[in-house]
Amino acid sequence: MSVTAQEGGSVRCGTVLAPTPLARKASMGARFDERRLAQAAAAGDQRAWDALVDRFGELVWSTARAWGLSPEQGADAVQVTWLRLAEQLDRLQDQYEWLGVWLAATARRESLRLLGAGQGTEPGPEPASDPAASAGLSRDGLLWRVVRELPERCRRVLRILMTTPPPSHEEVAAALDLPVARIGDLRAHCLRDFRGRMAQIRIKTEPRDS
Amino acid sequence: MGHETFEQNEALDPQEERLLEELRGAAGRFDPPPASVVEAARASLTWRTIDAELAALAFDSAVDQPVSAIRGADGPRQLTFDAPGLSIEVEVSSAGTRRRLTGQLTPPRRSRIDVRHAGGITTVDTDALGRFQADAISAGPVSLRCHPSTPPSAPRFVTEWVPL
Repeated sequence: MSVTAQEGGSVRCGTVLAPTPLARKASMGARFDERRLAQAAAAGDQRAWDALVDRFGELVWSTARAWGLSPEQGADAVQVTWLRLAEQLDRLQDQYEWLGVWLAATARRESLRLLGAGQGTEPGPEPASDPAASAGLSRDGLLWRVVRELPERCRRVLRILMTTPPPSHEEVAAALDLPVARIGDLRAHCLRDFRGRMAQIRIKTEPRDS
Repeated sequence: MGHETFEQNEALDPQEERLLEELRGAAGRFDPPPASVVEAARASLTWRTIDAELAALAFDSAVDQPVSAIRGADGPRQLTFDAPGLSIEVEVSSAGTRRRLTGQLTPPRRSRIDVRHAGGITTVDTDALGRFQADAISAGPVSLRCHPSTPPSAPRFVTEWVPL
């Protein structure tokens, strides 16, 4: 096992261990629950459907917003995505364990469809913050502003990652049309970029309680 | 130095993980899905159609021929839906938030068409050649449900939802 030293004195294990048996079981358990919800929803169970909307709603919305859709366009893309799932749910039985991936991919396609229909262009990054202007913002407000200043790709990556519950690498890859194997590196790279920008406006990126 | 495999879904760096937690909180505060969007998502289940063939979106001029500077944004949108045994071509013209759909079934046949849209359901009949027109369709997601007139046992078709 190789070990690399990082800035700040923390040590990071560079090689990957497989997810702990408990984590793997938990994630398999979660997918099993999603499968049961999907089966019940396909049979017309409104509460099971509502639970799926609760589970994946932020992921679908984050995908539309990551691609730069306005709130109105985002609402359209999200609605079409869920309508498509409702229509095709009983045909998707072999994908019930991967609903998040299907939803993220569909949300991405619908977002690109709206962008391609000339209903809007993806906005560029916002200009860098004036440190003085940042003074009045809450910490959350500052974090939010700096994300919007990132270059396009990292802005998208972080916006998807800013989803509750946290999306899997497969879901992030589907939302952004990127290879799954790159997601870990992209996440690390974009967080480093983000930290660098926060440092430039002289705000620490350690949370208050640390 | 090692490298991550795609199986590693947990963050290795606790500092990264804490920062992401904070970022999730910020997104939840500044840009959550609006309540109306969540409500519409929940209501989607009631729109599904049982026992109908799904006609997939095979062509959408908005995607396959994106708006060009020459053509401009005013040209009608063209859609084609395909299912085994049926193809539906639709031309969509816009006037503000209203849409007009002009369509053709192939092979030609008489059918009843339910246009499902944000304003409700608008029902039109095709002529003997399978041609139809529907006006005053609300902008937003649209799906057509098609009931061939003969034979009585002919399957119904429903198109994939498309935002118009």
